[in-house]
Amino acid sequence: MIAVYKKELKSYFFTPGAYIFMGAFLFIAGLLFSLQNIFTGSSDYASFLSSLIFIFLLVVPILTMRLFTEEKRQKTDVLLLSSPVSISGIVLGKYLAAVTVFLLTLIITILYPTFLGFHGRMDWAQIWGTYIGFFFLGSAFIAIGTFLSEVAESQTSAAILTFCGLLASWVIDYIRSFVPMSSMAGAIFILILAGVAIAVFQSKAQDWRISALAAIVAVVVVLILFIITPDVLYGLISKFIAWFSLTSRFQRFSMGILKLDAVVYYLSFSAFFLYVTGNRIENRRWS
Amino acid sequence: MIQVEHLTKKFGRIVAVDDISFKVKKGEIIGFLGPNGAGKSTTMNILTGCISATDGKAMIAGIDILDDPAKVKKMIGYLPEHPPLYGEMTSREYLRTVCDLKNIPRSERKEEIPLVMERVGITDISGRLIRNLSKGYRQRVGLAQAMIGRPPIMILDEPTVGLDPGQIIGIRNLINDLGKDHTVIISSHILSEVQAVCERVIIIAEGKIIASDTPENLSRHLFGTNRLFVSVAAEREAVEETVKSIPDIVEYQIEEGEEAGAVTVKMKAAENADIRKAVFSAFAAANQPLLMMRPIDMSLEEIFLDLTRAEVEI
Repeated sequence: MIAVYKKELKSYFFTPGAYIFMGAFLFIAGLLFSLQNIFTGSSDYASFLSSLIFIFLLVVPILTMRLFTEEKRQKTDVLLLSSPVSISGIVLGKYLAAVTVFLLTLIITILYPTFLGFHGRMDWAQIWGTYIGFFFLGSAFIAIGTFLSEVAESQTSAAILTFCGLLASWVIDYIRSFVPMSSMAGAIFILILAGVAIAVFQSKAQDWRISALAAIVAVVVVLILFIITPDVLYGLISKFIAWFSLTSRFQRFSMGILKLDAVVYYLSFSAFFLYVTGNRIENRRWS
Repeated sequence: MIQVEHLTKKFGRIVAVDDISFKVKKGEIIGFLGPNGAGKSTTMNILTGCISATDGKAMIAGIDILDDPAKVKKMIGYLPEHPPLYGEMTSREYLRTVCDLKNIPRSERKEEIPLVMERVGITDISGRLIRNLSKGYRQRVGLAQAMIGRPPIMILDEPTVGLDPGQIIGIRNLINDLGKDHTVIISSHILSEVQAVCERVIIIAEGKIIASDTPENLSRHLFGTNRLFVSVAAEREAVEETVKSIPDIVEYQIEEGEEAGAVTVKMKAAENADIRKAVFSAFAAANQPLLMMRPIDMSLEEIFLDLTRAEVEI
């Protein structure tokens, strides 16, 4: 893993990749910082960081687009696969290299609140809290980008896919307020989800008896829930969507609250995408 | 050293490797020979653990690849069809990265890298970016990558493709040299190439092994001495008469030669007949000087036709 990590970091700094990422990140951050804090004379740094999270949409694709696509293009994936490094080591090494570049950039921005600190009193606890949240949020976005760079065939398509993926996780909060809230809608939603799961199972296992049984069980369970405790199903779609909302969990950090569940959420979110990435590589070896 | 049993690989419905089994002894140089798409690269990819087999077993030094991939991979140096090079690095940086990937202790690296670079002849260009190197040098950097860490087994997929004749000879010498202390598998679709370096040739077509023998035996079986190409300094009609007088010849074809005053004859005798002496004596007796005489090589396609036909007949 360390070998892949070192190699990937080298690649970042031997190619324009890391510099473009840092340049873009620091330019946008600097611009926003000047507008929000310097010109208005505000010392509210936490709200600056909160308003900065849109930056991930633009810069994370730059950071992650080359991770796996470049290996495919140069056919160097063979080198990694034929060397005594595990697949999880490859994925983790690449991911951590991208996170390191992000972290380095983030460390540079600590200059901003330091400057502000010369001229006013800063709420450092709140700033550190926001930074921690910002870092974990960014890491989760980078995990999505890592996964999509494995899926895509070229750097360009990886960048576009990542942009769309991040945009989707971004607008999810807005979509939430428009989905139907009734118990009926919740019941139908569960049935659709169960239907998709059973269809996937059926296509892989080709065992219609188990599929049919699962379908019947799903319908019965949903019916019972709907009749006995319809409250459980109320607003279910909205709750379901909220599971995937990365940005809503960031709010607490910017209030200076360090919530463990949010950190765990971000970490498990990243772990999930990295796991799926490794799984895809493993699957390709077998197919 | 290498033991492959009933190896099968399917890509969807396409069967790339179809139930092949073979063994390679320690220190042997083996050649995989086959047309493009025969399954050579797929077999090599399975042996090196890059892809997994659909069925069957591949054992390296008695260890199944699936049981301990890291240990097996450490024993193999692999040069794939396209050398896996990072264009943004120099050769030296690249080899250092390879050392990292192969877990080679720092103390050994200092000696290992210059030694390998010297052996493949890339010391002078070690500071140049790989992306700016010519095809021949890239191939050599790829070979250096495979040699790093002195793996006991080297698997080289078409190591001389795209090189100029001088470089081909260089690489062949290197492979011969490697064969002294390594087990080597190379693949090629050029017969003369495998003949030049290999102790044993495995011919693969459409995912199956259709022959496995020493190059000498294969050539005896394949080329025989029944097909000859001669160049004679004489008139066409006179030559035709001489050819007709030689017994055993079943087919012949006379053409104007490239040299002035000479004609060329392609002749074919019955199977297993050695007509070389007869041809020589006949032309000598007719006082028609032979300028050249050589057996006609079969093309790879003909060999495959021949071998597959032989299989059917048995």
